[in-house]
Amino acid sequence: MSDTALPALPSPAPRRMGHGSFWIVTIIIGLLVALALRGLGSEYGYFAATFVLQYIVLATAWNILGGYAGYVNFGAAAFFAAGAYTTVAMGKALGLSLLPCIALAALVGGALGFGTGILTLRLRGAYFAIATLCLSVVLQTLVVNWDYVGGSRGAYVLRPREVPWPFDGYSGLLCTVMVAMAAASVAISRTIQKSRLGLGLTALRDDEAAAEAAGVPTLKLKLIATSISGAMMAAAGAPLPYLGSYVEPNTAFGMAYAVNAIAMPLIGGMGTWSGPLIGAVLLASLQQAATVTISSAANLMIVGVVLVGFVCLAPHGIVGLFRGRR
Amino acid sequence: MEGISRRGLGRLALGVAATVPATARAQTAPSGPPIRIGYSMSLSGGLAGNGRPAIIAHRIWADDVNARGGLLGRPVELVHYDDQSSGAQVPGIYTKLIDVDKVDLVVSGYATAIIAPAMPIVMQRNMTFVSLFGTGANNDFKYDRYFSINPAGSKVKETFAKGFIDLAMAMDPRPRSIALVNLDSDFHQRTAESARYLARQAGLRIAYDRAYPPSTVDFAPIIRAVQAARPDIVFVGSYPPDTAGLLRAASELRVNFQMFGGPMIGPHITAQKLQLGPILNNLIIWDVYAPEPTLQFPGIRPLIERYQPIAAKENVDALGYYVPPMAYTQMQVLEQAVKRVGSLDQAALAKDLHANQFDTVIGPLRFDELGEWAEDRNLYTQYQGVQGNGIEQFRKAGTQVILAPERFKSGELRKPYTAGA
Repeated sequence: MSDTALPALPSPAPRRMGHGSFWIVTIIIGLLVALALRGLGSEYGYFAATFVLQYIVLATAWNILGGYAGYVNFGAAAFFAAGAYTTVAMGKALGLSLLPCIALAALVGGALGFGTGILTLRLRGAYFAIATLCLSVVLQTLVVNWDYVGGSRGAYVLRPREVPWPFDGYSGLLCTVMVAMAAASVAISRTIQKSRLGLGLTALRDDEAAAEAAGVPTLKLKLIATSISGAMMAAAGAPLPYLGSYVEPNTAFGMAYAVNAIAMPLIGGMGTWSGPLIGAVLLASLQQAATVTISSAANLMIVGVVLVGFVCLAPHGIVGLFRGRR
Repeated sequence: MEGISRRGLGRLALGVAATVPATARAQTAPSGPPIRIGYSMSLSGGLAGNGRPAIIAHRIWADDVNARGGLLGRPVELVHYDDQSSGAQVPGIYTKLIDVDKVDLVVSGYATAIIAPAMPIVMQRNMTFVSLFGTGANNDFKYDRYFSINPAGSKVKETFAKGFIDLAMAMDPRPRSIALVNLDSDFHQRTAESARYLARQAGLRIAYDRAYPPSTVDFAPIIRAVQAARPDIVFVGSYPPDTAGLLRAASELRVNFQMFGGPMIGPHITAQKLQLGPILNNLIIWDVYAPEPTLQFPGIRPLIERYQPIAAKENVDALGYYVPPMAYTQMQVLEQAVKRVGSLDQAALAKDLHANQFDTVIGPLRFDELGEWAEDRNLYTQYQGVQGNGIEQFRKAGTQVILAPERFKSGELRKPYTAGA
């Protein structure tokens, strides 16, 4: 018998958390965050958290198309504003409250994403990015000329006086809704990443022609991705009119939304469910802190400087840094 | 001097030396915890051009008040954050100001887009709120503790363009037609509505009535279309980039109208005054202040004189005739109310603001039940005799004369408007 040692068997892959378990963990974390904010009881805490949470939803939504499929969408502000204006229009036409408006905004955003996908997904790279940028311009022009939602004057959406139990104020309610949306968006993003849809999107990101040749239905997957991404971005924008009771096109279509939606996944790490979450928490908290401390034009530079720093030093974001070390 | 010995005189002198500065100190040095006044202001982004001068005026006011012994004997401290010209930042800023910074009083930042998002927070805390340059910001909220520093008043439709239309109808021969051109924005839609309403009442035929979108960059087609409609007078509402574009187009196309102007925001900013120079001659501009003898109220000249060196140092609007007097007034109104009430009780402050008249650097003013000015003060001014692009001519009276309202009139209407030709 030869005493040559047999090659060691590869160690078994670490057991991945299943979809169901992840959803349960996310719900528990969401509940804990909501309870912690409630315990804090500060109105400012609610606002700062809403600001950060809204970016978690937006960045996670952007990552589904931009990170998983590699299609850079510059029109995040358009989807976000579509959600905000759905709330304005539906609130005015049907007198609906926030929750049905969020659901309708997701439908509108999904339809808009699907339509944009059909029209533009035959374009690739910079051409697709430019097409999505155009979407923002076209939609803003439409809103500016649509008097029913206030046109360029803007629209007032007054908060309801009565707040359901157990909330102590409308800001608390708004913040809790955003916590739920952020938790759901992270869970959806992770489910997509670990599913066949995510694998297909990754394949087409790496080489679309090869993926198509291997039998991946690329156009179908991209359309699903644009629809889900659009729906989530619009849902993120739906509470905006209630946040300030007033919304006007320049705020809703603000450049900050489009830039942050791209910068946050890039800093956190594109193509993973955790990247946009880390990026959004980091960058949005930094921006919010800078607004109330530095309080000058310098806070606008933060995104730019951090972005340039990460592109140069950690092109795969924070998640990439840890992966490299493993 | 018979009764006072040399030693006695010495004691008296010592006594005076000890007591007088103590009395003076009691007047000039406020003590106790500061009264904190919080607000958001646009220090970056599109509104920063007017936000930065407003902050300088507020600082001058705070220095003045503190030098006079403070408010209720306490020093005044301003707490403000940059809203980046975005309404979305505003609710967070006001909750931070009220909950974390524990400010005693709140005022608004510049313009409706910044005022309106602050309203729900301020209303929730029942705080008195003095705003700066808001147009109809309280029409939907109907908050009884809101007060607006904007001379347009609450009856914008009936009063805003009155000065312009009255001037036109007093011309000989009387005009028969008017063209209305305006930017598609909240403020300009309201002002155009006023001009439309008053023109119809005066029997003027509306030869042209169009709004242009904010993205417009080429204004020659608009001016050409107005020329083709052959109106006698033209009422224009625009913001700074468009105003420059419209006036340059008017100059290139050699327009000739009996009257041309309106709420064309632009020449209010010093840089645009200098840039346009003689193109401004005979242009009629809605304004809030002009350095004319009829508009000299106590405190306005010292304010401008103190503002200008600071503005030069900080590289903001050099003359400061537009926002600074209004921003200073915003704080003066609050100061007078606090002094009269003698406390920071928000309900009492609001009651006082509704009940009394305020003497400010831009003259006396009073608020109506919606918090707008009880009597509007829409000034229609005309640039006359502008030569070259020097700044000194704009400091002198007679360059921007006031034509309406009658009580502030400082010159006669010159016509026609030919855009510097």
